[in-house]
Amino acid sequence: MNSITPQYEDYADALEMIDDEDMRFEYIIDMGKKVKDEDFPEALRIDANLMHGCMSRVWLCDEVRDGKHYFSGFSDAIIVKGLAAMMAGSFSGLTTDELQELTTDHVRRLNLGALTTQRQVGMMAMLETFKKFGMSGGGTLAQLRSGSA
Amino acid sequence: MNKVVPIDIQVASNSMDAFDIESVRKDFPILKQDIYGKSLVFLDSGASAQKPQVVIDAVRECYETYYSNVHRGAYFLSQKCTDVYEQVRGQIATFINAPSENNVIITSGVTESINLVAQTWGRKFLKKGDEIIVSEVEHHANIVPWQLLQDEIGFDIKVAKIDDQGEFLLDTFKALLSPKTKLVAITDCSNVLGTMFPVKEITRLAHEVGAKVLVDGAQGIVHKGADVQDLDCDFYGFTGHKIYGPTGVGILYGKMDVLKSMPPYQGGGDMIEKVSFAGTTFQEPPYRFEAGTPPIAQVIGLGAAIKYVSDLGMENISAHEQGLLAYANELLSAIEGVQIIGQAKDKAAIISFLIEGTHPFDVAAVLDRQGVATRVGQHCAEPLMDRLGIVGTVRASFGLYNNKDDVDRLAAAIGRAKELLL
Repeated sequence: MNSITPQYEDYADALEMIDDEDMRFEYIIDMGKKVKDEDFPEALRIDANLMHGCMSRVWLCDEVRDGKHYFSGFSDAIIVKGLAAMMAGSFSGLTTDELQELTTDHVRRLNLGALTTQRQVGMMAMLETFKKFGMSGGGTLAQLRSGSA
Repeated sequence: MNKVVPIDIQVASNSMDAFDIESVRKDFPILKQDIYGKSLVFLDSGASAQKPQVVIDAVRECYETYYSNVHRGAYFLSQKCTDVYEQVRGQIATFINAPSENNVIITSGVTESINLVAQTWGRKFLKKGDEIIVSEVEHHANIVPWQLLQDEIGFDIKVAKIDDQGEFLLDTFKALLSPKTKLVAITDCSNVLGTMFPVKEITRLAHEVGAKVLVDGAQGIVHKGADVQDLDCDFYGFTGHKIYGPTGVGILYGKMDVLKSMPPYQGGGDMIEKVSFAGTTFQEPPYRFEAGTPPIAQVIGLGAAIKYVSDLGMENISAHEQGLLAYANELLSAIEGVQIIGQAKDKAAIISFLIEGTHPFDVAAVLDRQGVATRVGQHCAEPLMDRLGIVGTVRASFGLYNNKDDVDRLAAAIGRAKELLL
């Protein structure tokens, strides 16, 4: 699967064009700053919907429309907020089958070497969460964990 | 970005003859490298300190020239390795002013030191209805071992408090003491706030009610040394890698009468006197508590580290670090929006801070991109974070190799973090 979504291609191209690691890092910060509070419903920002194992607080959710998954991500830290927004934007609009074809290489292509290993692991965890959402009917992480999603 | 105003503070001005910081820095090969194209500023010594060349050499020399298993080897190398290994035990006894090398137990780190006391002394002497006291700044390593035992035995854990500046509240501690108190397990220096705790006074008060005292010296000994006889504590634990030695090695000091009263910790080779299926007898302390092959090269490396800091002089190291702390306090306090967490009068060179309007993880990430290595998070002190009502801090912990330039770089990196994040 070469082309994922137009948004994914945009991110990958933009990050590829930036040849300076510091600038790539700042690009992610800018991404985080662009995410507004209203972009992720406050009512969903509860502990039950937190991703486990993250050093900052990260929330993810999935809305299914016409058989396609549309993800949203949010965090209380700007960098992770930027990453969550980038990941959610990149992989939104895919069907369940398309989500299952995603691999860690798709995340690596985003060229986020400016991040620490820990954050790169976090992005892979987000990818796995999206795939799990793909196998379910969407919703929140709490619903996903309880099997009601 | 707020302008950082240079402040003229003498760093280790009284000890420059004995402590030449630029010469000291050359002893640490890791400091010569660049990170992201910028020279490394290492401010995470509180988690684990970098190693001087003499420590690296000592470990390498051990493996290259005389490594073998210690104790009872009937050949030259084993005898030599045993001699060097056991000399370190004596060297550590001298360093902490223990009465004898037999008071010094080799462990894998202070975490094991505390667990050892919990599982031997604690399991034997703590009963349902007893009380132990820890403080609310403790590292998880001095909380969880007691909780594990509490689940089995049913004693109570009381928590000694600090004030909002991070000062230990001695009066409230006194109010917790009673004849029910059997142990006070407390740090001599908060790994988050830097507060030096009055452990000598704490020990005196605890002994008045007949309680034993365990001091978690993981941080304190690095900055100010330790004199276990002066403190009069019953146990003192510290870890090798924070005091410029290798990982995987730590120390538990214990008073001999207390150690003799304790059953073995783990079973295995080296800790026994005689083994038979009819019954096994055990060695005297410290060997009773050292089952299996010990961390031989690490102990020898720790010996080199102890010699290194002893040669520099703990007073000189402390004076140098206090100069850095004062300089960092002045510089960081002058940056608008920086909140220093922990302002105790007697502090080690550890500064936790937050920047208003930012998340500490973001700040630490920007600092990292500037080549400034700090630690971020709860620092294994979640109850303290709850007490302070914060999610975590960025922590800059200084070591003997840091200099004024490092503080300047930290302040500049904080300015950059504000630029990028706000």
